[in-house]
Amino acid sequence: MLPKNMNDIVVIGLGNPLLSDEGVGVHLVRNLSTLGQCGPGVDFFDLGTAGARILHAIAGRKKAVFIDCAFMDKDPGTIRRFTPDDVRSEKKLPRMSLHEGDLMQFIELSRRLGECPDEVVIFGIQPEDLSMGEALSAALADRMDEYVEMIAAEFR
Amino acid sequence: MSQAIDINVHHMTRVEGHGNIVIKADSGAIQKIEWQVPEAPRFFEAMVRGRSWMDLQTITSRICGICSISHSLTSVKATEDAMGIQTSEQTHKLRLLTHFAEQLQSHSLHVGYLVAPDLLGVKSVVPLVASHPDVVKTIIRIHRVANEWSDLLGGRTTHPVTIVPGGHLTPFNENDLRELKKTIEETTVPDHKALAGVILSVADKLPDFDRPTEYISLSCPEYYSFYDGDIVSTDTDEKVPVQEFERVANEYVSPQSTAKFARWHRDSYAVGALARFNNNAEQLLPLAAATANKLGLEKGCCNPYMNNVAQVIECVQVCEHALKLLDELLSAGLKPEKPDVTVKAGTGVGCVEAPRGILFHKYTIDEKGNCVEANCCIPTNQNHANIQKDFEALVPKYMDRGQDELRLLLEMNVRSYDPCISCSAHYLDVKFV
Repeated sequence: MLPKNMNDIVVIGLGNPLLSDEGVGVHLVRNLSTLGQCGPGVDFFDLGTAGARILHAIAGRKKAVFIDCAFMDKDPGTIRRFTPDDVRSEKKLPRMSLHEGDLMQFIELSRRLGECPDEVVIFGIQPEDLSMGEALSAALADRMDEYVEMIAAEFR
Repeated sequence: MSQAIDINVHHMTRVEGHGNIVIKADSGAIQKIEWQVPEAPRFFEAMVRGRSWMDLQTITSRICGICSISHSLTSVKATEDAMGIQTSEQTHKLRLLTHFAEQLQSHSLHVGYLVAPDLLGVKSVVPLVASHPDVVKTIIRIHRVANEWSDLLGGRTTHPVTIVPGGHLTPFNENDLRELKKTIEETTVPDHKALAGVILSVADKLPDFDRPTEYISLSCPEYYSFYDGDIVSTDTDEKVPVQEFERVANEYVSPQSTAKFARWHRDSYAVGALARFNNNAEQLLPLAAATANKLGLEKGCCNPYMNNVAQVIECVQVCEHALKLLDELLSAGLKPEKPDVTVKAGTGVGCVEAPRGILFHKYTIDEKGNCVEANCCIPTNQNHANIQKDFEALVPKYMDRGQDELRLLLEMNVRSYDPCISCSAHYLDVKFV
């Protein structure tokens, strides 16, 4: 294998920043990695829409933190912290394309492979707007500091 | 044949009308055969209008998380063509090497995660861990190397940052390249032999279905091309410069479907691994050619399901070609390069072979360096008509096997093309329990 300097904790932002709130995970992981709020020992990845690469990014770590826009049937802008065992995936994947993914399925696959971190935490943020555009909706943009504070508390 | 057939498979529940299979028949009479296709991510074209030449790769790399290297390379090639920018031999080799990582990533994932469960009789890759652990571990190992390979050459895990107009940035050194070479030689090549063996053992599960069609890809005299050359077809000896791609990808509206189809010499054509193989098989390197021989794939194959076999062969090809490139780069010595760009107005076309087929970007850039017009022609759109034509031949042939088997054959047909839908993740749709 290629050489790799890996920290025990990984923070992964998911989503497409060209589709408004869909990219909130990417915006947040960028903010967290540049704000200097987190000490050493944490790797930050903007995995965008990289699908199964999630498996490799979490393999062998002690803790994985995911940040993504999530359909949770909550008010737009709501942030929820949960673990994979707190939820049931509602996604239906006919497996026709690599261009579809279900985070919960990747975590399950990682567990079955014996590579999954002991602790997996997900921060889901309910979107308001998923249309084309690089800016977040006001419902999310106005709460970015609050999101950063809440997520950073996970590994301070 | 008195069975009623009523198949309605929805691809993405959150994206209306995208990628659905709709078949209706009664008493042997076919009423409807539709591949209702996803619209192209054309909104990205609007997004790059008015943006600086420096931003175009960054934006278009987000069109797709699986093909972000291909979109990046196509984008910088279009920008370079429009502004008359030259690149070095080292940049050319590093770009090929980066592009090969994506081919390996995408193909291994597609064959391993989506196709293997069909052939091994399980519903997804998750139960495959219990039923065929060695197969899954081999696939994961190949994908992991490809992932680290693209990390190294692309500068980050996905949506690369080293691919820029005028050059390829080098945040890596010769030792990193030596390590990569060692890993490919010692791990990935043997793993592919194992994977080819698995595919061979279940090859009889691939449907025996031939439908002659036109196969279109890039081709160049020097090697099996993913990046260089002209547009070629199995229907003609003509070599079309990529700048004239709109002459090849002719869009038309079909009464059988709701979206635009593409054609050149027939009603439809196919792009992707099988198209590249059918145009360029004689250029495969020895190990890839031996793999093709082992798997029984021959030039002229017109079974769409064999696209997946061609993907396995291409995995071997890119590893073999990468080893040659790494030797050449290491013997020449890696030199830091600073791209030299002078802004100039113009129109240019970029073209590469994305894992799932030929991809074009066309940009018009003004004298300030801003993009004023863009056109992205993605492989999946070019394959849609071919999928519809496959369906029209498959349904009458296999209708008497019953709804469930027919549905699986149609799903496997779509899967064999690995259609690219616009990559918005939506990875989380959850209910709290």
